[in-house]
Amino acid sequence: MPGADVVVVGAGLSGLSAALSAAQSGARVQVLAKGHAGTHWGSGGLEIAGPAGVATPREGLKRLAGTRGHPYADLAAEAPAALDWIRAALAAEGLTFEGDLDTPLALAPTSIGGTRPVAILPTAQAAAARPWVGERLIICGVAGFKDFWPDAIAASLSRPRLWGGAAGPERVTAVTVELPGLAGRHNLNALELARRFDDRVWRARAIDLIAAALESAGRGSGPGRVALPAILGLNDHAAVYDELRKRLPLAPFEVPLVTPSVPGLRLYYALRSALIKAGGRVRIGEVIDHVDRQGDRVTAVATEAAARTSTVACGALILATGGIAGGGIVAGKDGHLDEVVLGLPVEAPEYGEWLSADAFDPAGHPLEAAGIRVDRDMRPVGAGGRPLLENVFVVGTMLAGQRYLRERCRDGVSIASGRMATRNLAAAVPAGASRGAWAGVRQ
Amino acid sequence: MAESQTFDVLVVGGGATGAGVVRDLARRGLRSLLVDRGDFGTGTTGRYHGLLHSGGRYAMKDAAAARECIAENRVLRRIAPASIEDTGGYFVATPDDPEDYVAAFPAACASAGIDCEEIPVAQALRREPALNPAIRRVFRLPDGSVEPWNLIDANLADARNHGSEARTYQRVVAFEREGDRLVGATLLDERSGATTKIAMRFVVATAGAWSGQIAALAGVKLEMRPGKGVMLIFNQRMTDTVVNRCHKSADGDIMVPVHTVAILGTTDVRVPDPDVYEISREEVAALMAEGEKLFPDLGRMRLLRAYAGVRPLYQPPADAQAADNRSVSRAHTVVDHAVRDGVENYVSIVGGKLTTFRLMAEDTVDAVCAKLGVTEKCTTAEAILPGQVPGKTYWLGHRLAEHEAEGGGDAGLLCECEFVTREMLDEFVAENWPCSIDDMRRGTRLGMGPCQGGFCTFRAAGVAAEKLARGPSGAGAAAGPAGNGAQARPAAQFADELDQGLVGYLRERFKGTRPIASGRQLQELWMVLGMYVGTQGLDSLIDRRTVPPAVAPAEVTDARR
Repeated sequence: MPGADVVVVGAGLSGLSAALSAAQSGARVQVLAKGHAGTHWGSGGLEIAGPAGVATPREGLKRLAGTRGHPYADLAAEAPAALDWIRAALAAEGLTFEGDLDTPLALAPTSIGGTRPVAILPTAQAAAARPWVGERLIICGVAGFKDFWPDAIAASLSRPRLWGGAAGPERVTAVTVELPGLAGRHNLNALELARRFDDRVWRARAIDLIAAALESAGRGSGPGRVALPAILGLNDHAAVYDELRKRLPLAPFEVPLVTPSVPGLRLYYALRSALIKAGGRVRIGEVIDHVDRQGDRVTAVATEAAARTSTVACGALILATGGIAGGGIVAGKDGHLDEVVLGLPVEAPEYGEWLSADAFDPAGHPLEAAGIRVDRDMRPVGAGGRPLLENVFVVGTMLAGQRYLRERCRDGVSIASGRMATRNLAAAVPAGASRGAWAGVRQ
Repeated sequence: MAESQTFDVLVVGGGATGAGVVRDLARRGLRSLLVDRGDFGTGTTGRYHGLLHSGGRYAMKDAAAARECIAENRVLRRIAPASIEDTGGYFVATPDDPEDYVAAFPAACASAGIDCEEIPVAQALRREPALNPAIRRVFRLPDGSVEPWNLIDANLADARNHGSEARTYQRVVAFEREGDRLVGATLLDERSGATTKIAMRFVVATAGAWSGQIAALAGVKLEMRPGKGVMLIFNQRMTDTVVNRCHKSADGDIMVPVHTVAILGTTDVRVPDPDVYEISREEVAALMAEGEKLFPDLGRMRLLRAYAGVRPLYQPPADAQAADNRSVSRAHTVVDHAVRDGVENYVSIVGGKLTTFRLMAEDTVDAVCAKLGVTEKCTTAEAILPGQVPGKTYWLGHRLAEHEAEGGGDAGLLCECEFVTREMLDEFVAENWPCSIDDMRRGTRLGMGPCQGGFCTFRAAGVAAEKLARGPSGAGAAAGPAGNGAQARPAAQFADELDQGLVGYLRERFKGTRPIASGRQLQELWMVLGMYVGTQGLDSLIDRRTVPPAVAPAEVTDARR
C-alpha cells in the first residue's frame, strides 16, 4: 500500500497551504481532491479580514479575534506570519502582491460594475486600490468577450454612492478593443484570452491595439487608470503585465471576473508548483470512498477514481474540503448536515434559522457560520471540547464560526489554519506511524 | 386633466384570460383596453406548471370539464402551435393507485371524447427510463406543455391588429359609477405615479383570484376562494412526456417537461389573500414524497426552486361550505353583476384553467355582446394567431437547429442554458427599446434555464448599457463623460435600473430556493453568493438608503421567470 505522512483532502487555498507547510517541514504529503476549489471562483487576492466598519486588515483581525467562536479567536496571532510565509512562497513562483495588514481597505471596481473592499492584491490588480486623486478611469473591454461589459460598468461606477463616501475617479468612461484574430468571435472566455496573452507575438500586437484605443479615447485628458478584464496571461502573466504597464499611457489594473477566474488559477498553479517543488504530490479527481481508523487515529484514506479504488496509508489527515460551498458539508433534505469524509459533528444554527429572508441581508445568513469546531491544534472536538481524533486536522472554510463572505476573512483563515494544522505534526505523527511506501514520483 | 379616452370595453387583468377576452372583443369590433397592475402574465398565468390538459385529469369526476379541455386542446394546437410543445401525456398506475379507478379510466376518457390508448409498460419505460419501473399500467393521452407568455403576446398582437390596446403597470384604483352603470375608471401608472381617467361602456374583470378586489372597487361583493398551488422545478427534463398519476387528482401527481426543465405539481390549499402566502419546507417534502412514486430518483436530482400560483377558484354562494379546495369546481363562471348586484355593464369571469382560456373568453364576450347588442360571432377558435406557422409546434432544439441551418459555428451565446445569442438580444432590444432586463428575459427566455440567470443576467445588463451608450444604430464611440452633461444623468438612472434588475432577479431566485435549500442546490446558492457578494461586491449595488423591498412570502414568484 502506498503511504504518506500526511494526506490532505482538498486542493483549495487551505489544503494547499497546509500541504506546502507540511512538505516544507519534511513530511511526505499527498493531496487528494475531488476537483478544483474556491481558488477558481475567487478574485485571486488575499482577503485577511475586512468586516464592515474596519479601516485595515489588522484592525479586522483584531475585531474578528474578539468575536466569540470565530476561528481567528485562536488563529489571529498566527495570521501575520502565515501571510508573510505564503507571500514569500508565491513570490518565489513569480506571483507577487501589494499591500499589507496596515494598508487601508479601499474600494476596487468589479466586473458587474460594483465595488468591493480590498487591501492585499496581486500586483496586476493593485492600482485599483490606490486613492483616487482627480484621475479618470477608463474601462477597457474586449469585443466578443461576454463576461466584461465596459458601458454597463462605466455607467454604474459613475455614481458617487458606489464609492462609499470616499473619492472615486474624476470620471469613468468605456472603450472596447478588437483584439487580433478575434474578429467575428463571440464565445471568447477568460481562460482562452489569457492563453493568447501568453503568446509573445500575439500580445505585442494586442497591447498596441489597446494603447491606440486608449490614446484616442483619452486624447487631451489628464492622468488616469485603465481597468481591463482579468485575462492578462496565465503562465507568463508577470511579463504580460510588465509590458502593458510600460506601453500604456494609463496605469493598468485587472478586474476579477466570474468563473473561470484567471487570477484564481494563477494562485492555484503557483501554490501547486511550490508544493511539488517541496516534494508534495497532488491528485485531482479523487472522491473519498472511506477512511480507515484504529481507535482514535486515522490510518488510511481510500479514494475512488476512474472505476478503481486506491488506498493511501497516512500518519495524519488534514480535512480541507471547503464547507458547504466546497461540498465538504452536505445538507440533507431533513436539515441534517453531514461532514462527508469522516462524519464529524457539524456545528450549525437551528434548521429553521438557516437562511435570512433577504438573499443580501447585510448580516449574511446564519448557516454561513456552520462548520467543524476544533481545538487550538485544529483537531475536531466533540461536545465536551475534547479532540475526537488524534491525528485529524480541519482547516479553511470547514471551520465553524466564520461568516467569510461578509467578514472577508476566508483567505486569512485558510492560510493561518493550514499553517497551524501542521505546526504540531511531529507530535501527531510519531516516527513509523505511517506505513506504506512513498513512491517518490513527482507530478 | 386632458379629456379622457373612451373605450367600448375596459378589461382588467392581463393574464391569459384577459388577453383572450381583449382579442375576442377586438375581433367582434369592440374597441377595448386591457390593463394590468404589473406586467402581463405575472399573476396566475405565469405561475403555472405549463400543462396543456388533455382532459384526462377530469375524465373520472367532471366529464363536462374533460370535454372542454380536449376541445380547447385541439383548438390551441391549431391556432397557437408555437406556444405548445407536443410532449404527449402518460397516465400511469403506480402500485399505490386504486385498481377500480384505473380500470374505469379508459372508458371515462372515451365517453369524454379523449383519445386514450393503453401502451405496454415496457414501451413507456423505454421512452421514459426515469419512470418508476413498478408501474402497472400506462395510458397515452394528448397532453402537452404550453408557454403562457408567448400565448399572451400572440393574443395581444391579434387584439392590436384589430384596433384594441393593452397597457402594463396600470392599476385600476377607482370606478366612476352613474346609477346602475360604471362609466369611468381611474388608472394609476405604477411606475410614474401618474393617474389617468378613461371612459367605457362596459367592464370585464379578468383578474382571476384578484376579482374580488376589482369588485370591491365597483361597490360589489364577490367572494373568491384563492387556492394556492405549490410547484417544484428541477434542473433537468427527467421526462420528455407529461406524466400523471392515474388516480383521483391529488398533490404531487404530475410532472410537466417545460423547455429545459421539468415541473412537479401541485398542492391545493385555500389562502385568504392571493398576495400573501408562504411555501413551507413541509409542503416541499410532501410533494417530493409523492413525486418519488412517479420518479424514484427524484430525491437525487437537483431541485432549482419552489414557486406557487393562486387558482382563481370561485364557489357560487349555494355550496360555499365545501371544505376541501380540490372539490371546488375547475369550471368557469361568467358572473353577471347586473343580475346579481344591480350593476348593468359589468361581468367577471372566474374559475377555469389555462387550457380553456379561449373558451372562457368566448363565453365572456358572448355575454358582453348580448348586452351591447353586438351580433358578431366569435372567430377566435378558427383564426390562427399572428406569428404562427400552422402545424409547427414548439421544439426544444429549434434554436440550435436554426443556428446550424444558417451555417453554425460560434453563436455568441449570452445565455447558454436557453440558447440566447447576442444577435437575438440585440434584435429584441432594438425592437423593444427602452426595455428592462425583465422584458429581455420574457422576450427571449434568457435566464430561465438550469442556471436560473446566474451567469447571463449581468450580460443582459451589458447589452442594454451598450445600447444606451451607443445609440440606436449601435455605432458611435464610448459612453459620454460621467458626472456632467446631459448624457450622464440618464446613464446613472439607467445604472440604477440595471442594479435593480440584477439584484432583484437574484433575490427572486433566492426566495424560490429558500424552502428547498439542501444538497447541491444549497451548494450552488453558496457558490452564487460567493461569486456575487464575495468577488463581485454586489452589496455595493444595493442602495440601502431606500426602503428595502418587501420580503413577504407572496414575492415568491414563478420559477420560470
